[in-house]
Amino acid sequence: MSRKILRINMSDQSAVYEDIPEKWSKWAGRGLTSAIVLDEVEPTCHPLGPNNKLVIAPGWVSGTPAAPSSGRTSFGGKSPLTGTIKESNSGGLSSKKIAKLGLAAIILEGEPQNGEWYQLVITKDGVEFKDAPDLAGKGMYEVDEILWDQYPNKPAVIGIGPVGEKKLSNAGISVNDPEGKPGRYAGRGGLGAVMGARGVKAIVVDDEGGPGVDIADEDLLKQGRTKLRDAIMEHDLTKPDGGLNTYGTNVLMNIINEAGGLPTRNFSAGQFEGAADISGERVAEMVEKRGGEGMTGHGCHPGCIIQCSNIYPDEEGEAVVSVVEYETAWALGANCGIDDLDYVAEMTYQCNDLGLDTIEAGNTIAIAMEGGQIEFGDKEAALALFDEIREMSPLGRIYGQGVEATAKAFGVHRVPTVKGQSMPAYEPRAIKGIGVTYATSPMGADHTAGYTIAPEIAGVGGKVDPLDEEGKSDLSLTFQAATAFVDSTGYCLFIAFPILDISSGWEGMAESVAGVTGLDITGDDVIDVGKEILRMEREFNKKAGFTAQDDRLPEFMRYEKLPPHNEVWSMSDEELDQVYAWTNGK
Amino acid sequence: MITVDVTLYGDIAHFAGGSHVASQDVNLTEKATVGDLLQKLGISPDDRGYLFINAVLHDAPGLYASKDAALDDGDHIGIFSTTHMWPYQYRDGIHMSDQLQKAMKKHGSMQNVYGRTDKERR
Repeated sequence: MSRKILRINMSDQSAVYEDIPEKWSKWAGRGLTSAIVLDEVEPTCHPLGPNNKLVIAPGWVSGTPAAPSSGRTSFGGKSPLTGTIKESNSGGLSSKKIAKLGLAAIILEGEPQNGEWYQLVITKDGVEFKDAPDLAGKGMYEVDEILWDQYPNKPAVIGIGPVGEKKLSNAGISVNDPEGKPGRYAGRGGLGAVMGARGVKAIVVDDEGGPGVDIADEDLLKQGRTKLRDAIMEHDLTKPDGGLNTYGTNVLMNIINEAGGLPTRNFSAGQFEGAADISGERVAEMVEKRGGEGMTGHGCHPGCIIQCSNIYPDEEGEAVVSVVEYETAWALGANCGIDDLDYVAEMTYQCNDLGLDTIEAGNTIAIAMEGGQIEFGDKEAALALFDEIREMSPLGRIYGQGVEATAKAFGVHRVPTVKGQSMPAYEPRAIKGIGVTYATSPMGADHTAGYTIAPEIAGVGGKVDPLDEEGKSDLSLTFQAATAFVDSTGYCLFIAFPILDISSGWEGMAESVAGVTGLDITGDDVIDVGKEILRMEREFNKKAGFTAQDDRLPEFMRYEKLPPHNEVWSMSDEELDQVYAWTNGK
Repeated sequence: MITVDVTLYGDIAHFAGGSHVASQDVNLTEKATVGDLLQKLGISPDDRGYLFINAVLHDAPGLYASKDAALDDGDHIGIFSTTHMWPYQYRDGIHMSDQLQKAMKKHGSMQNVYGRTDKERR
């Protein structure tokens, strides 16, 4: 049975299963969401209007037997935050279940004429449209609990919080985790508002009795996944008791701080004196000291063998939130001058419940601090800002729109955004390579847009010298292409660490994709396939009115020196334009 | 005599009395080096990962480019365990010592881990 496209039209509450057309048949995950958005969404449409769509797609290998760490779901559409094409992906329960229902993608389009909220229930028998007055207005913790009570099969729940219902630009899409809680977010870019504009509060996905995923070549899949699993289990970063498993992504807090690249107090400094107190090391200490439900080495989706998540406990050992990630602890901590993990965890809970992206939310609070609304470091006042959002006060609605709207409201000009999306936890004036990716990614400033691939593995060996400033454009493009490919597989991006160091893992990833799909893909094709995805995304953005002038870092980074190294962003516009010159035939 | 401020991260924090992160001042003789500091702290070079002096990266796991780096009074040194990761894309373009740049030219600047070649791993 070939994969199907499930097209759900909210204007007339209809659902149609379509054969996947030839033009999309090779794609999955990010490649598929971007292909569909390019083909079906008018690039100049209003992101909240009737002509935008939300596309949901599992990856190539999602739902196949024992493919390691392959639980990512891609969400795509035109972003209300950036105005660009957007793909944002999440862990949690949904990827495997959508794939096992035989679906390549779910396209959510139209808008209800009656202004009501709906809950969709997708099973092997079809789609049920249910009125959801009991869910509307509720936070995601309660929504997830209600739906697991209603559906004892422990289905996937894809949902939006109150911020998505109000169609605010910092609304993420929640996916429940193995405990049935909303810790996993397709957070970036405001796609929760696109789901809200469709009138859908939650989507329940139950794969019971589903047809499963067709596998073209069992032996090739087995060979590929064995190589990949071996690489993950061997590599120092991803192996059991390795860096990610021990300290989570927040292993980076102290390192980036020591390097002088930790954005602090709204990108005004590169080191935070309280970094150690919000780091992964401190989380580990808290978990050991408080015990109870707290844990490190937690898996965010079934079948994950890296297990980099955590459950942060309160003083009594009861779970406060999962997960305190590096980006989250930085955004709500260092960038706001806050050094108290308990407050960071509580604010993370608020983000998860309200349906906010934590990176954009932390940056927004920092802007409110910069604008004089509250003081840097005032943790009680920072936490209280979430009450404004929950109450949907006029001020709360501004915060819910993210950094640029808040900066305008408070007259702040130090605005760390690219294409409307705020930067994550790496200062480009100190970590210059990532600045190229922030500037040129089709998605806006994004730390997951460009993952390293060693040149010899990518087949570009000898052409680039990573220590040479002039090679940065080529490197960034290669990184972005490799990432676009991994984002299409369903694998967690963190497989990038082992596969980019261990060439057999790289081959294994490609072979597992070829084994499932029957596509003629080897490790040598990965970069070219990734570039095809980037080309589609750039084409959408061009049609939406984006030009080279949008591929720039914010102005203040060119004249404000960042301590401790006291450097500015100095890369030329011409060099940035080289990254995507190939899309213009140059 | 000089005094340097040292912070240890990861399982090596116990050398400064902590479990995952700990700081302490360390007194050293004039012209002391990183090698002297590690010896005084009792940290084997094999157990040492990334190492910073005043926000400049001087070493990486599996390398030992910092051994002869001279320390000055008031320096801050951050030393990480070998468990600590720092993917290349998040360190591309940071400040590095000349000695480390030379070592990375030789061993490959983009690896996430050092000390073993790709061939050896396979």
